[in-house]
Amino acid sequence: MSEPTTVPDPNASSGQLEGDLVRRARRGELAAYDELVKRYQERIYATIYHMTSNHEDANDLAQESFIKAYSALKSFKGGSSFYTWLYRIAINKTINFLKQRRNKHHISLNDLDFNAEHDPDLVSLISEKTPHRDVNLSELQQKLNEALLKLSEPHRMVVVLHDVQGVSHEEIAEMVGCNIGTVRSRLFYARQQLQGYLADYLKA
Amino acid sequence: MSDKNNNFGDLKRLLKLKQHEIPPPGYFNHFSGAVISRIRAGESGGGSSFLEQLQSDSPFASALMQLFGSRPGVIGAFATSICLLLLLGVLFADRSETGMPMSEPALFAQSESSANEASPTLMASAGTVAPPESGITISTNPVSSLQPVNTLFGSPQNPLFQQVGFTPPSQ
Repeated sequence: MSEPTTVPDPNASSGQLEGDLVRRARRGELAAYDELVKRYQERIYATIYHMTSNHEDANDLAQESFIKAYSALKSFKGGSSFYTWLYRIAINKTINFLKQRRNKHHISLNDLDFNAEHDPDLVSLISEKTPHRDVNLSELQQKLNEALLKLSEPHRMVVVLHDVQGVSHEEIAEMVGCNIGTVRSRLFYARQQLQGYLADYLKA
Repeated sequence: MSDKNNNFGDLKRLLKLKQHEIPPPGYFNHFSGAVISRIRAGESGGGSSFLEQLQSDSPFASALMQLFGSRPGVIGAFATSICLLLLLGVLFADRSETGMPMSEPALFAQSESSANEASPTLMASAGTVAPPESGITISTNPVSSLQPVNTLFGSPQNPLFQQVGFTPPSQ
């Protein structure tokens, strides 16, 4: 099984060391924290969005996660990377939110980008081999999100982090606070469930 | 648990669709600015609320708040138990006040004698209760109630009232 690891190197971009930014942010320098927000906003937002399938909720939760992280920066001991620690805050916030709004799913999906129509994998999925030949990408997007929402939060989280965002098993285990075996078994079960829900839209 | 046996390839391809879902154009241009301005507003507004502070400081409080948030019934049960405890406390306090280690007749006898000692003229008509060593006379008489009988410095001159002798003019 190939392990995608697309987690950004915290020291690679924009020349500033993450540790230095965190230290300055801890001293109350909002400019440094602004830099940290810009560095991780897309990934944090995307994780929450894929968990909630709702742009407005994802916007609120992502902002609140960054605000909570800023107020808790003093308690950040540096035992893990800032990125993992921030992710943990966002994950906990999202799961608490989803528990509160259980059975009250309100889907508000983002648009697909232009590249979706040209993605060979997606094109092949809606080709004549698919049982639903007349399905378009928007319908497929709707069905996929509905299927994801049927999963329990821990299972959905693992699928989103690994299969959508490309986070490795080890990092997921650290973020979610469980061991790698649990991550793998959750991923396997979640994929099985999804495959069952989406059987009509996958090739036979 | 191998992916090949379960053929998750198509599912993984379908999940790639999620990567193409993007927020409205320009959304991230304002995101960090919104976060920073909310942080600034929070700082100028006195920081986080007491509940938020408690949640960040105490993991137990945080877990309790999460439990309350996820199961509203627990809040009701918690509030009911607090009310019951309060009620029990009030009842117990009442009992400990009235249920002193003295039988009722003895209490009344004692109260009458102390009342007579304190003020034979005024206390004669009022039933008074005087705990043995409290120094406070508990009486239904509004004038003499809660007046100290004895203090460390002897019998005080009461500034609030003074006993006077009054003889109605004979007709």
